[in-house]
Amino acid sequence: MSAALPDETGDAIHLDRIVKRFDGALALNHASLRVRRGTVHGLVGQNGAGKSTLIKLLAGLHQPDEGRIEIDGQAYDRLTPHRVEELGIHFIHQDRLLVPTFTVGEALFLGREPRITGTPFLDRRLMQRRASEILDDYFGVKLPNSALISELSTAEKQIVQITRALLDQPKVLVFDEPTAALVRREADILFRLIRRLRDEGVTIIYISHYLNEIEELCDTVTILRNGEDVATLPLGETSAAAIARLMVARDIADMFPKRSVTLGKDILSLDHLSSHGKYQDISLTLRRGEVLGLTGLLGSGAKDLIRTLFGLETATSGQIEIDGQPARSANPAQAVDRHLALVPEDRRGNGVALDLSVTENITLSSLKRFTRLGFLDFNGERSEADDLIRRLEIKASGRNALVRTLSGGNQQKVAIAKWLSRHSEVYLLDEPTVGVDIGSKVEIYNLIGDLAARGAGIIVLSSDLAELIGITDRILVLFRGSIIREFVSSRTSPDDVLAASTGSSEVLRHVG
Amino acid sequence: MTLQTSATAPSIPRAVIGVIVNNALVLALITVFAIFSLASPTFLTIANLQSILVNNFTLLAIVAIAMTFAVSVGGIDLSVGTAVDFASFAFVSLVLAGQPVAVAALAGLGAGAAVGAFNAVLISGIGISPFLATLGTLFIGRSIQQLLTNGGNPVYLPPSGIPEAFRFLGRGAIAGIPVPLILAAITILGATVILTRARFGRVALAIGIQTSVVRYSGIAARAHVAVAFILAGLIAAVAGLILSATVTVYIPSSGSAFLLNAIGATFIGTTLSRLGRPNIPGTVLGVLLLGIVANGLLLTGLNFYWQQVGTGLLIFAVLALSFITRRKASA
Repeated sequence: MSAALPDETGDAIHLDRIVKRFDGALALNHASLRVRRGTVHGLVGQNGAGKSTLIKLLAGLHQPDEGRIEIDGQAYDRLTPHRVEELGIHFIHQDRLLVPTFTVGEALFLGREPRITGTPFLDRRLMQRRASEILDDYFGVKLPNSALISELSTAEKQIVQITRALLDQPKVLVFDEPTAALVRREADILFRLIRRLRDEGVTIIYISHYLNEIEELCDTVTILRNGEDVATLPLGETSAAAIARLMVARDIADMFPKRSVTLGKDILSLDHLSSHGKYQDISLTLRRGEVLGLTGLLGSGAKDLIRTLFGLETATSGQIEIDGQPARSANPAQAVDRHLALVPEDRRGNGVALDLSVTENITLSSLKRFTRLGFLDFNGERSEADDLIRRLEIKASGRNALVRTLSGGNQQKVAIAKWLSRHSEVYLLDEPTVGVDIGSKVEIYNLIGDLAARGAGIIVLSSDLAELIGITDRILVLFRGSIIREFVSSRTSPDDVLAASTGSSEVLRHVG
Repeated sequence: MTLQTSATAPSIPRAVIGVIVNNALVLALITVFAIFSLASPTFLTIANLQSILVNNFTLLAIVAIAMTFAVSVGGIDLSVGTAVDFASFAFVSLVLAGQPVAVAALAGLGAGAAVGAFNAVLISGIGISPFLATLGTLFIGRSIQQLLTNGGNPVYLPPSGIPEAFRFLGRGAIAGIPVPLILAAITILGATVILTRARFGRVALAIGIQTSVVRYSGIAARAHVAVAFILAGLIAAVAGLILSATVTVYIPSSGSAFLLNAIGATFIGTTLSRLGRPNIPGTVLGVLLLGIVANGLLLTGLNFYWQQVGTGLLIFAVLALSFITRRKASA
């Protein structure tokens, strides 16, 4: 792109006092966002604060009711997605779709495939070569060109997405929750890339729930609350705690409301459990009332362990006992009958059915309780749903609302409510607060505390180490399939846990 | 979120949009009905309306309900016609062999259910996609019928040898209502209850919407899928019994005539329902819609060969209607 850069200090983006209403409800109330060229600009706010509306306006997906949009000092009246892309603004979405049956090369060049000169035929060889050049230059990784998108890890898919945007030599890159599904090491690679792009003159808008990332990465941050920009601050003069206070107008001290619970009898024990090539010789005991943290990098085996407990994978040797009874489950149905509950990481894929109602989701696992002679007891279902909606403070337009219409945090509450309805006793929570806003996070932490207090045993798998330390009693760190460290949560720090999970002295493989 | 919001779209009151969205099928039916009433003087006569129910509705409704069960679990059953044929063959052959009609009828139902069970093994047992599994069953079923009938010869019941019960099933009436229509009504009612009020129906629809969530909820999703396909075979068999009792003959592979219309009716009903879920009332209205269009076009004197153009246009119209109403509703 040969567009001459005007003065170096100017604004790349200026959204000026934007007002946007949906069905009369005010989504943005004179919100402004001013992003200086060549900086990394953070955008934070709870769900519903107006972040996504603001970004959709910038993307040309919505039009503002009032206010001005300026790009490179030029005001635009009606932006379209196409026009925005021409202006060099690109968006990296957390759940943007790549065609799963395409190869890496095909996905990168979808819609702008190079042709063999003078023919209508695709130049596959050129496609693949350019793809690997870019991947190598920016990420230092080699993805097998012929690999299918569906075979890639989440981190690798994201690399493909970013590479796609880089092919257009963008002026502005907008990252929407890019690290939600990444482990720390993968996020580090992303951060290095973002800094390098900034140094090359690209303007970055970075949206994240993780305030430590904002603190680490951004030059400036804008905080949205209730559709208004409550502050825009240079990062040198503020802290994650101060940002969080501005977001919620509430003190961060009660962010991790860990309750002290007297531990009861053993509820779950693993004895020398092994699964070939995934984890070995795992022994642990979980007591009623205990919240046990589990963490490890991609490939540490932590995820496989959880899946084995829930009957989604099988162990090759070793024992599992629940309440003293053998409990190796061949499928989830058996695990659920043993009062195990899994709140999976892929909430929208496996945790809740987006096109079922709140009620239908809540009673899905416990339908037998609401069945008389094969027929459904609608009244029983309704009162169960109402009860759990009230107890968990699930915000929905009603019990018949489709779960699709709920925010991430409320979807997660529905995923948990399903197991409360099933009277589960051992809860396996896999990244329970990924993509959940701060307010809902605190509510979910409280809920975990309540469950423990009622005598459930809880295992939390999380790569958010501050969270893990804040809500658990103990933390087990897995590394290459083995438990290598155990921490008492009240006597450790994220740095210690991180060091352990990277195997300290071990040299690690690259992404994925 | 919709990708585009039309801020300048003419403002139709939301209440009106709501009525259209929730009753799109009924409105479509009324429209088609009105058009043909104007276009043909014979359309709106008792005799013709009866003929629609008997000739264009009864059998297709039952087969389409079978299809709806397969679609409810997120699948499709291309072998509904095969189940119709196998039921019909077993029924006619056993009656011909002098077996009691009740025994022959039960064998017919069993034959249809067996086709469904074969699909269930392929789909839930082996893990073949419903489309391919039932396509295979369709082909295999055709061959078996050819082999059983020496290359496709019909199996006739001699006019003298038709038992009374057999005749009653096909041509009889109770209180002036044809028996086949009564059987269709019972099937419609039963299927509606199963799909909306039984636990099985809830789980089936949940599987169709998001299988993995059902599995992660500790429910044996595959078993439910298997039951849905067996039910589809069983219900299609009911149509097979009525068909052979009406025409007193078994003609190999005649059931496949229902396939495309059954798919059409099921997806019309699904597309035009408020939540976009497979549902029995929607399927039944879809069958009526297809039946009325077929009958109406015939009465307007249009060349028979144009009939399928009408069906095709109808499906496009349904899609357009659902697209427009949904966009308006979410704007």
